[in-house]
Amino acid sequence: MTAKQPMVEERKKRDSSFSLFFQKNSIYKVIGLLVIFVFFLLPVLRLVFLSFVDDGAVTLQYYTEILREPATWKTVQNTLVIVAGSTILALALGVFFSWIVAYVQLSGKRAMQLFIFLPFVIPSYITTLAWTQFFSASGPVNAMLSWLPGSLEAPNLYSIGGIILLLGISHYPLVYLFTVNVFRKIPRELEEAAATSGLSRKRALWKVVLPLALPGIASGGLIAFLSNLDNFGIPAFLGTPANIRVLSTYIYEQVVGFGPSAFSRAAVLSVILGVIALVGTVFQWFLLRRSRVNETNRSDSTPRIHLSAGKQKLLEISLWTFLLVTSLMPLITMGALSLISAYGVPFNLENLSLRNYEYVFLTDSKPLSALSNSLQLAFFTMLLCLVLGTAMAYLRFKHPDWSTKAAELFMTIPFALPGTVFALCMIFMWLEPVPGWNPGIYGTVWILFIAYATRFLVLQVRGSYTAFLQIDPSMEEAARTSGAVGWVKWRRILLPLLFPGILSGALLVFLMALTELTVSSLLWSSGSETVGVVIFGYEQAGYSTYSTAFSTVLVLGILLGGGLFMLLGKLWDRKVLKTK
Amino acid sequence: MIKVNNVSKKYGSFTALHSIDLEIEDGEFIAVLGPSGCGKTTLLKLLAGFMGPTDGTIEMDDKVLASTKRVLPPEKRNIGMVFQSFALWPHMTVAEHVKFPLSYHPNKIKEGKKELQERIGDVLKLVGLDALADRYPSELSGGQKQRVALARAIAPLPNLLLMDEPLSALDVELRMEMRKEIQKLHRETEASIVFVTHDQGEALAIADKIVVMNQGRIEQIAPPEVLYTRPETEFVATFVGKCNLVKGQWQNDRFVPAIDPKNVWPDLGVADSFKKSGIYPVRPEQFLLMSAENDGLQGVVSFVQYQGHEIHYTVEVGEETWTIHESVFASRFNTGDVVGISLKNAPIQNESLVPN
Repeated sequence: MTAKQPMVEERKKRDSSFSLFFQKNSIYKVIGLLVIFVFFLLPVLRLVFLSFVDDGAVTLQYYTEILREPATWKTVQNTLVIVAGSTILALALGVFFSWIVAYVQLSGKRAMQLFIFLPFVIPSYITTLAWTQFFSASGPVNAMLSWLPGSLEAPNLYSIGGIILLLGISHYPLVYLFTVNVFRKIPRELEEAAATSGLSRKRALWKVVLPLALPGIASGGLIAFLSNLDNFGIPAFLGTPANIRVLSTYIYEQVVGFGPSAFSRAAVLSVILGVIALVGTVFQWFLLRRSRVNETNRSDSTPRIHLSAGKQKLLEISLWTFLLVTSLMPLITMGALSLISAYGVPFNLENLSLRNYEYVFLTDSKPLSALSNSLQLAFFTMLLCLVLGTAMAYLRFKHPDWSTKAAELFMTIPFALPGTVFALCMIFMWLEPVPGWNPGIYGTVWILFIAYATRFLVLQVRGSYTAFLQIDPSMEEAARTSGAVGWVKWRRILLPLLFPGILSGALLVFLMALTELTVSSLLWSSGSETVGVVIFGYEQAGYSTYSTAFSTVLVLGILLGGGLFMLLGKLWDRKVLKTK
Repeated sequence: MIKVNNVSKKYGSFTALHSIDLEIEDGEFIAVLGPSGCGKTTLLKLLAGFMGPTDGTIEMDDKVLASTKRVLPPEKRNIGMVFQSFALWPHMTVAEHVKFPLSYHPNKIKEGKKELQERIGDVLKLVGLDALADRYPSELSGGQKQRVALARAIAPLPNLLLMDEPLSALDVELRMEMRKEIQKLHRETEASIVFVTHDQGEALAIADKIVVMNQGRIEQIAPPEVLYTRPETEFVATFVGKCNLVKGQWQNDRFVPAIDPKNVWPDLGVADSFKKSGIYPVRPEQFLLMSAENDGLQGVVSFVQYQGHEIHYTVEVGEETWTIHESVFASRFNTGDVVGISLKNAPIQNESLVPN
């Protein structure tokens, strides 16, 4: 190798200029926190405040009124039964699947994972619609049962049991998501140590594996619990026809009922719902009080349990049957039944037509304008969250102190609140942001935009934060010692590395905003209908065939988008990150 | 020339650095040596500008780089840095890694495209990567990745090259090879180098001057051989030279071990601080093991470890346990043997230290 001595003489003695370094930047922190407080926490405080106020005077009148009504207690009872049942179902399914996927040797685990996530990607009200078609008089379940001897009938989904089933199936992917990596991170040595200490596999599972997985199971359980409590679509679609109310639908009825005290009554019910959510959160904290999580353990995804070939086949077949029946079949049924000309007629060639699609997309003007509204809302929500959420995640990552932690906590509140409660908060906050001044946000599409952005921002923050955690800090340090600063550093180094992680966060925000129902159902106004609101409207008016047609198109769109995203992710990994 | 003046760094109530003073001459190769948690990485990060000092200043060529009020960020300092994990960007080729600082560093190439390409070629040739210019990091071996990291750091000819345990991610064979590579780069770029390591062998082999750190303080600054043969603190004696700290009394440059006052050892260059505290630091290879009938201290061999090129004995002498390294060519002893121990009369470079 040739020595390049002349290089040395070239070395320049640089003039170094000073840049101001703000060691005392608490003033920015306070301003930032104040803005976040106004957008994320103040609405909730105003809701709680309003439940105690009547005509400017503090009163407990609404509380005593509502707590005396038997309807309230019946609703609370329904809520508790349904939430408990569906949480147990979601936990059982979620933990079972995550344990099997994490530990047992199976082929096609990746495909299996995709199907587990399917009910999570499809909005729950569409899943419900699909299941009602699946179990309907002309659906495949009844057709099969009629072949069997005896007068068997498909179980009635319009019941507490039906609501529990649908909630459980919609939310077990959340439990799966929270537990599968916890299982993988339990070092296999711990199981081996249990075995050499004389424990059988079964006892090791109870004594070692499950206690270690408890943190993941408990957080998955909490998320399932909150989602079940929050869910509006399923109890609205299945409970309303059967006169079964839960708190989220009851609050909705109060608001759309427009009594003189509708908002105050709804506020009181929201506080009750909030208290139940809080009790669940405290319970989870209580469970986790003594457990220690070892974050440094590496995730180990090679199978630990090998079954004989026959048993493995049997297990695979039963798992796939379950997944196909619970996730894909109802959707296919819905798609097929959307093609029949009238509700209730048998499914055969003569009755097939595109009449429903023709009505939804050509005759009725609402679905198309709702689709356009939802797409625009979702796009701009995604864009805003992408920028603000990633900036917040970066601050949280670079300065993990009390201020950024508090900011993130504030941002979590709108997402953690039940949707109906959050929608009420938005009304109270933006109807008159400053008492006596109505800027006309409520009753336009703007309130939906503000609501979506505040509700879903935390998803982007978490997604981008995870992306930041996954790149080594030295990547950025290397860029800085090479002289890159500001936009160059982001464009050349950070963004290419962060892109997949940030994009999946953005996509989640987009999807959630596109198919949102709960918040929209209380905040929409004429001209600002969203996709969820239109489907809900058809369903309430009894036009099941129209709602299935519209839902089918949505599902196809979502699946297409998801497929494209996965393809894009693979291409990015291969072309840009050069992974093999 | 870089001056670190009275620099302290606190993280909350924990003090990572206690009033550090250090001078780095132009072109000097300094190794900062210490166990993990001694503050060496904190010192490096302060030199790089990733954070500011709680107290004190850092100057480069009479300009203040960092004080408690102002910190010049790394991208405005004339530095290069090699990271422990290499920190290669997975989406850039080898040539792009070298081009990056040439486009953005304070010393960036302002001339035309041709000069830039020439320079990239020169740097890649210097580290021996000219054939792999279009490869991505995922297509390189560990040693090649290390060379890319070096090339990126030296490309803009920084005044100061910082290296954060750059060899610790490599296997032993490769580490030896890269030591030479780094020495060669130092010769050819003449940059000042601050090389952080916890491996005393690496520091002794590679540096002009070693800074030994412990618990946020500098224990001793000296050239490798002086540091090894004339440690000034107990920490340096045990961490660098693996010395046995023999207790006894100093009487006019002669040492009488407490265990057996019949023996008298000459002063083979012991620092005054040890003389004051009545300690003779003896490196394992300074001892001579003999059969028991000879003169010297009596001890019992408790462990024997064969190392290939030498044999490590653990010997119980009175209350103390000493480690003694003997050549494989010397006479052998077994566990349980009673042995006589004396001091080898190693040649001393500084004649004035030899007692007459």
